[in-house]
Amino acid sequence: MSPWDPTVARLTWHSVLGRRRALVLLLLPVALLALCALARALAALEGGDAEVSDALAVDLLAGFGLGVLMPLLGLIAGTGVIGPEIDEGSIVYLLTKPIDRFTIVLTKLGVAVAVVLLLGVLPVAASGLVLTGELDLVTAGFTVGALSGGLAYCALFLLLAVVTRHAVVVGLIYALVWESVVGQFVPGVQNLSAQQWSLATVVGVFGDDAERLELSAAVGPATGWVLLVVVAVGSTVYAGLRLRRLRLGAEV
Amino acid sequence: MLIETRGLTKRFGAVTAVEELDVEVGAGITGLVGANGAGKSTVLKILLGLLEPTAGEARVLGLDVTTDGPEIRGRVGYMPEHDCLPPDMSATEFVVHMGRMSGLPAAAARERTADTLRHVGLYEERYRPMGGYSTGMRQRVKLAQAIVHDPQLVLLDEPTNGLDPAGRDDMLELVRRASTEFGISVLVTSHLLGELERVCDGLVVIDGGRLLRQSTLAAVTQETPVVAVEVDGDVGALLPVLVEAGLTLRADGATLLVRVEDDAALDTVRDAVARLGLGLVRLERQRHRMTELFEEPVGAP
Amino acid sequence: MTEQTRAGTVIHDIGYRHYDGPRLTTRQIERALFTETVRAAFGWGRSARSKVMPLLLLASTCLPALIICIVISVVPLVDEVPGGYPSYPFSVQVALAVFVGSQAPAVISKDLRFRVAPLYFSRPLSRTQYVRARYAGMAVALFVLIALPLTILVVGALLAELPWREQVTAYLTAMGGAALHALVLAGIGLLIAALTPRRGLGVAAIVTVLLVLSGLQATVTALAEEFGASTLADLGGLLSPFALVDGTLGVLGADDASIRAPGLDEGLGVLYPLLVVLVVAGCYALLVRRFRKVGIG
Repeated sequence: MSPWDPTVARLTWHSVLGRRRALVLLLLPVALLALCALARALAALEGGDAEVSDALAVDLLAGFGLGVLMPLLGLIAGTGVIGPEIDEGSIVYLLTKPIDRFTIVLTKLGVAVAVVLLLGVLPVAASGLVLTGELDLVTAGFTVGALSGGLAYCALFLLLAVVTRHAVVVGLIYALVWESVVGQFVPGVQNLSAQQWSLATVVGVFGDDAERLELSAAVGPATGWVLLVVVAVGSTVYAGLRLRRLRLGAEV
Repeated sequence: MLIETRGLTKRFGAVTAVEELDVEVGAGITGLVGANGAGKSTVLKILLGLLEPTAGEARVLGLDVTTDGPEIRGRVGYMPEHDCLPPDMSATEFVVHMGRMSGLPAAAARERTADTLRHVGLYEERYRPMGGYSTGMRQRVKLAQAIVHDPQLVLLDEPTNGLDPAGRDDMLELVRRASTEFGISVLVTSHLLGELERVCDGLVVIDGGRLLRQSTLAAVTQETPVVAVEVDGDVGALLPVLVEAGLTLRADGATLLVRVEDDAALDTVRDAVARLGLGLVRLERQRHRMTELFEEPVGAP
Repeated sequence: MTEQTRAGTVIHDIGYRHYDGPRLTTRQIERALFTETVRAAFGWGRSARSKVMPLLLLASTCLPALIICIVISVVPLVDEVPGGYPSYPFSVQVALAVFVGSQAPAVISKDLRFRVAPLYFSRPLSRTQYVRARYAGMAVALFVLIALPLTILVVGALLAELPWREQVTAYLTAMGGAALHALVLAGIGLLIAALTPRRGLGVAAIVTVLLVLSGLQATVTALAEEFGASTLADLGGLLSPFALVDGTLGVLGADDASIRAPGLDEGLGVLYPLLVVLVVAGCYALLVRRFRKVGIG
């Protein structure tokens, strides 16, 4: 069983980057880059030394980059690689081919990850550059954070799309209500937040500088990594299993 | 006249979709026949007041399409060719809603929906979501939403598309009933001549936006003084006998097409067949077939 | 009288009855579509499943109001409603954003995705009337979502014997703001939903757009304030629909309305109400244009 099917990959790539979805996806990195450029511009206007403080950079990248950009990107890409096909029933064409279900899942996951890399991780790295002007710890840390979080989000939301037709709404509730709103009020919830885990990986990269850069996460870096990997792998495996038993029909 | 057009023309830039159409459609079932791209959809849109003609005029139910569009649409029904049913609604919900959109008050819409669905042949299924319907059931719902508000005229766009032969028969039967039992006049578009023959009272044939032919079917399929004779046995022996008896005829394969001017000629045929000891399989008056229309030279109706 | 048709089905034929009753005018039909839209926005008349989301979100917009009421009735020294009335929608914007995202597609995407729209337009209703009915319906639903918690607040405040004149004035101002919020959000939501009829994409697109705009607005304003760019700080509110309406209320004179900087009393402040009008009119016009493209046949 090969983990990658080029035809499926090509078709999925074209479908997930269909005109409308691509526009929505593009909105996210463009917004982040615009924000960072603005911060840089404002800093330049204020005083000759066009520097943005590390703390501010961390705030921006953690808040908008890992908090808004990555989850939404992962949601739209992760559900977009398989959700519409299942909804329209055209997934039958794929399921009746002699391709292993896990190959399908892995290939589609690969495409989603590619989208997230291109439109999420890369822009986050670029933003770090724009903000701090150098390839330093901040940039490296958040690139790692974006990568780790992005992988987990893609796998999680792809699974969600296989399991329910309302994947997008459920995913939004998770990303918005659970992680952000509830997370602020209910202490334990933060431990179950992929956002916090990805922040933890950033803390891991920062190492001893984490305190100076005013970044902390609800769990330790090692825990963060482990949980992210577990979620990514577990979601992928479970998605493959569910795909084997996928029931089609004119469901609401 | 339910529909009248005079010099109706519609141009989209350089493309002429409809040209100088002079059509009169009366009560009953009328077929609007033409190949795909002949301009049928454009004509329907104009008749519904949804498209402004470039030139000429059209009146539907006595109303002008350019000024009385909404009123026309309130008294006319339309059944599209494409799928148009949301899968998570039931037929009842959908038709009630469409009835209200046509101008029926809520209670009347519910009542008429129940009646209409029954008339088109949807019973318990009507409460289930339409996603699970077969094609035949879907076509019935589409027809139901077109007639729920008791229109005087209903426009059906390729109603038998996608149906199997049994389904086609059912749909045509429904169309026929709509006209004869419900008293609703029908304009049916199709690119299939054969099936229209069975139900239409009148015919409008267009090609490339121009009118090819228009007539009532009675005129089209007039009786001709030609009789087809088929025998069980050697038809070659019969032919010379009939010629000798003074009849004009020609052979069409194993069938003889005999021109008969009166009943005496029929008797001649019968006696000849009997004398030769042949079995008479068929002795049938010939009618024009609709397909002949397209073999004849283009001319005024 | 029963009849056997060729197909073998038995039809108890009491005959086809014609309809001679009243037929409604297009305005009445528009009103019927409007009420249907408000119902659809709350999942009324559909399966229980489709009611979960909207009602859950209604509860989430009302919950903070209830909590505040309890707080002010229990703590006797409070003499004003914490947070105020006009900026309440701003604080529950996540719930509002998810509501629009979830319900705007429910209201309008199906007509496009399943091609029901041609059936509407082969009927007396015109395209502008259709869009008006849908827009107004969605706006009313959003208004309810904001007005209900505001009403809970003012009732709680009056019961806690807060000074009634202030409370009611602020409440009425906030209700005006609620109407503006409803119009702006409905317009944006319906437009995006009409442009993304595929299932799931509409929700994601609307929520993404609204939240990214909110995030941008908050960050830009914070950045501007940190770097002392006061003009930018004043205008930052234009970025997000929620801040836009909030700022408009402030410009139009509501004292405790605006969470924006006071510098808006100068000429630039007029940009806020201007943009509100532009957004509402623009969304409406674009919606009509989108539906003009729907043809029959």
